[in-house]
Amino acid sequence: MLPEILISNSWLLLQGVERTLELSIATVLFSSAIGLLAALLRTFGWWAFRVVVDFYVYVVRGVPLLLLLFFMYYGLPYSGIDLAPIPGGILVMSVYFGAFMSEVFRAAIEALPRAQWDAARSLGMRLPLILVIVVVPQAVRLSAPAFINTCILLIKSTSLVSIIGLSELTMVGRQIVERTFAPFQILLGVALIYFLICYSLSRLGRYAEKRTRYAH
Amino acid sequence: MPSLLEGTVITLELSALAITAALILGMVIALAALSGRKAMTLPAGAFVQSMRNTPLLVQLYLVYFGLGMIGLGLSAFLSGLIALTAQNSAYIAEIYRGGLQSVGRTQIEAGKALGMRRREIFELIELPQAFMRVVPPLCNQFIQIIKDTSILSAIAVGELMHQGKMLSERTAATYEIFIMVGLFYLVITSIVTFATRSFERRFAIAH
Repeated sequence: MLPEILISNSWLLLQGVERTLELSIATVLFSSAIGLLAALLRTFGWWAFRVVVDFYVYVVRGVPLLLLLFFMYYGLPYSGIDLAPIPGGILVMSVYFGAFMSEVFRAAIEALPRAQWDAARSLGMRLPLILVIVVVPQAVRLSAPAFINTCILLIKSTSLVSIIGLSELTMVGRQIVERTFAPFQILLGVALIYFLICYSLSRLGRYAEKRTRYAH
Repeated sequence: MPSLLEGTVITLELSALAITAALILGMVIALAALSGRKAMTLPAGAFVQSMRNTPLLVQLYLVYFGLGMIGLGLSAFLSGLIALTAQNSAYIAEIYRGGLQSVGRTQIEAGKALGMRRREIFELIELPQAFMRVVPPLCNQFIQIIKDTSILSAIAVGELMHQGKMLSERTAATYEIFIMVGLFYLVITSIVTFATRSFERRFAIAH
């Protein structure tokens, strides 16, 4: 079924997949941490923190990821900060998607029924304890569908680091195209690999959505 | 500076064309997906899933390099416009579908009880209510489209990002130029957000 050209290059493509998955997993982890922290600070923090988080989300929402990648890759070396492409890419993508994740978590925190708060307060709990054992566990569960959608966007966006020369799946695909002059077969193969990763994740999202709906 | 302004014009052109095309194509796909006929729901679903689950950059390369290879070479601008429209019409179709499905069953039943026809129910009950609900997510999608035009710099469409990068290579004032480019994007997306907010407020219907 598969064109021979894909099979003969499957080793290279697999290496690209590995790098793409590495980048994706690291970025999901870091951006979730940034997002959760930002969401908590935005919802419960001191007013100065709220202003900072709002500004961060506003800037990231209005600026393309590619620009931030260029800034890191071409701009920062001028000020003596020379990040290697892989950690630099992960850092920039984590900061970028951290803002999206913070909105995902914030919506979930705000969707939590007031009665949960009232119940926790009437049991004599203080804010840190309420956050740790009442709010965060439920909010994380509520946010599952939106979280998975953001993860899919994130995985697709890792293709952009190929533009700053990181050899993940898209870059490997382009390199094979340059060598073989078979753009259709190779790029469709690359698209298919992304599809398999993201589509299976979106099925998981559907399942999560059903589970969260039954929880009430 | 003049090259950045030139790039901004191209970014705005691309965004406006892609938004218009995706709004129309998205409606066609959403109606097909909701038609209840297998011959229409299946291709609509396949289109939406394949667009949503593959990166824009790969789609862009497929259109630009792939079609070029089989003799259907399109200009970079047109290839970019096609890829942007294809990807975003899938997202917009899902927004429409969500909006239409969010109109309560009882609303439709009330329409039926009043003896309205299927078409009347759609035009007078479902569409106006769904319309207000899709405005905020559509605003987000417009911003996404504007930001996504930057990806077209990868095939050297002379939009804002590409102009910024070329300028920074020529002048070595990388910092200033990228911050400038960022501000340009921020201004454009802020205007879009502001415009949709005031639109929302003006046409808000009391429930």
